[in-house]
Amino acid sequence: MHDVTHAKQRRRDLILAAVFVALAACVPLFVKDVYVQNIMVLTLMYAGLSQSWNILGGYCGQISLGHALYFGLGAYVTAILLTKFDVLPWFGMLTGGIISALIALALGYPTFRLGGHYFAIATIVIAEIAYLLFLNWDWAGAALGIDIMVREDSWAKFQFTRSKLPYFYFALFFAAVAWLVTWWLENSKWGYWWRAVKDNPDAAESLGVVVFKSKMGAGAISAFLTAIGGAFYAMFVSYIDPDAVMSFQFSLLIALPAVLGGIGTLWGPVLGAAVLIPVTELTRSFIGGSGRGVDLIVYGSLIVIVSLTRPDGLLGLFSRKRKKEAVQ
Amino acid sequence: MTALLETCGVWQRFGGLVANSDVSISVGRGEIVGLIGPNGAGKSTLFNLIAGVRPPTQGTIWLDGEDITATPATERCRRGIARTFQVVKSFETMTVIDNVIVGALVRTTEMRAARRKAFEVLEFCGLAARADVMASELIPSEKRRLEVARALATEPKLLLLDEVLTGLTPLEAQTGVELVRRVRETGVTVLMVEHVMEIVMPLVDRAIVLDLGKVLVEGKPADVVRDPKVIAAYLGDRHAVGA
Repeated sequence: MHDVTHAKQRRRDLILAAVFVALAACVPLFVKDVYVQNIMVLTLMYAGLSQSWNILGGYCGQISLGHALYFGLGAYVTAILLTKFDVLPWFGMLTGGIISALIALALGYPTFRLGGHYFAIATIVIAEIAYLLFLNWDWAGAALGIDIMVREDSWAKFQFTRSKLPYFYFALFFAAVAWLVTWWLENSKWGYWWRAVKDNPDAAESLGVVVFKSKMGAGAISAFLTAIGGAFYAMFVSYIDPDAVMSFQFSLLIALPAVLGGIGTLWGPVLGAAVLIPVTELTRSFIGGSGRGVDLIVYGSLIVIVSLTRPDGLLGLFSRKRKKEAVQ
Repeated sequence: MTALLETCGVWQRFGGLVANSDVSISVGRGEIVGLIGPNGAGKSTLFNLIAGVRPPTQGTIWLDGEDITATPATERCRRGIARTFQVVKSFETMTVIDNVIVGALVRTTEMRAARRKAFEVLEFCGLAARADVMASELIPSEKRRLEVARALATEPKLLLLDEVLTGLTPLEAQTGVELVRRVRETGVTVLMVEHVMEIVMPLVDRAIVLDLGKVLVEGKPADVVRDPKVIAAYLGDRHAVGA
């Protein structure tokens, strides 16, 4: 009987996600404003990115503040392959994902031995080194970056001059896939191993969990998906440089929605991105022009308020209600 | 027939401190063995060596006729050693049943089977009603039982219990004692560390007393408690006179 209720809960999540995707897919039919569509694309992209981050940071508890590295790698690999070798961005995307996953494994080998804050610091440092390398790497465009020439509307080349809609649908697809991967992993051996590693590595080990391997697996999957998001971003903005895809702010923007929405939860990153990204964009465009950083003050205050009142993330609002219902 | 667990001349040094010196014990299949001794006797050190937290400085450890001296804790779990922790280490952000599922996943990767197994173990341990509660919400005695449940879910041959009965009310301790007996009835061998003599003595088949890192006495509980050396170790030499 017990496993039936659990299966029901999981099916409910899946149905809810399908409804969300269907509703989101209809939104552009009514919202024609390009500026708003742009915000929607970014929101979906960050939902997917944060979902990817959440696999390593939320479920496995290894807080990375260097995911800009994988985001940037996805963007760079795609842009370089396309502009220098005429490789279609779809292959670039996949290649970027695989390279990122391999690099995550290579970096994880030494860094996953570090505990807690030391791991987070190491990720910042490594991403910063990569940023500086790209800033000085002439072949990869150095500080000038890479301009992706947009000549035609083409799904094969994933370039669109007139409409943002194709980008919107891909971003939706990306967010949905990241969610689905998480949903599937959550109820697998990996998902259980990750949460055990996060909560208590010693106890996990005594129960047969291979702690190091768990972390490596989470790191590789997380990096792969993040790079897919980076590749998408490169095609979406069609111009990249180290500041635009690999700076520290991306590491924060990737981590924050999950933290704000509910770290280590299935819906946290989605909820967090839905709140955070529109607020970021709106404050920037409406009050950011003052040049005094008012938008950042509003933005920062919001994060402070949420972390003070809802330390478990915004999702805590819902689960608390649910728990009360369960008690009654 | 060889014993299930054997330690042969095990030493553990921490710098200049010798925590275990030349400890050779054996635990037979289906036994409940108590590892007792005053504070600082080296019980927990020996326990951790058997669980695989670290390899001993010297000596060998055998499980089921296989040398596991250098085998890490994770692999020992696979081979059939499960343990609990003296200071409980629940997975606090997970539900009770999810805690147990982690253990069950050692034997299966099929999630439904793992969940079913976990629920069975929770029923066995009297925690089924709390299956969907967060582990952080359990009271201390329930957390102890969760430790046992999680360990049992790995289907061990040998269950290592580290002071699971310490610090419980008499009633809770009695429930715990019955649980350990039922565990043995399912064919699991139990090695338990305790220092509360009056609780363990009626429960165990055999007691091994450690003192100052060495095996002091070993034998039937009734004989062990009357042994002058044991009384001296616990209460001081003065009390041992004429015993």
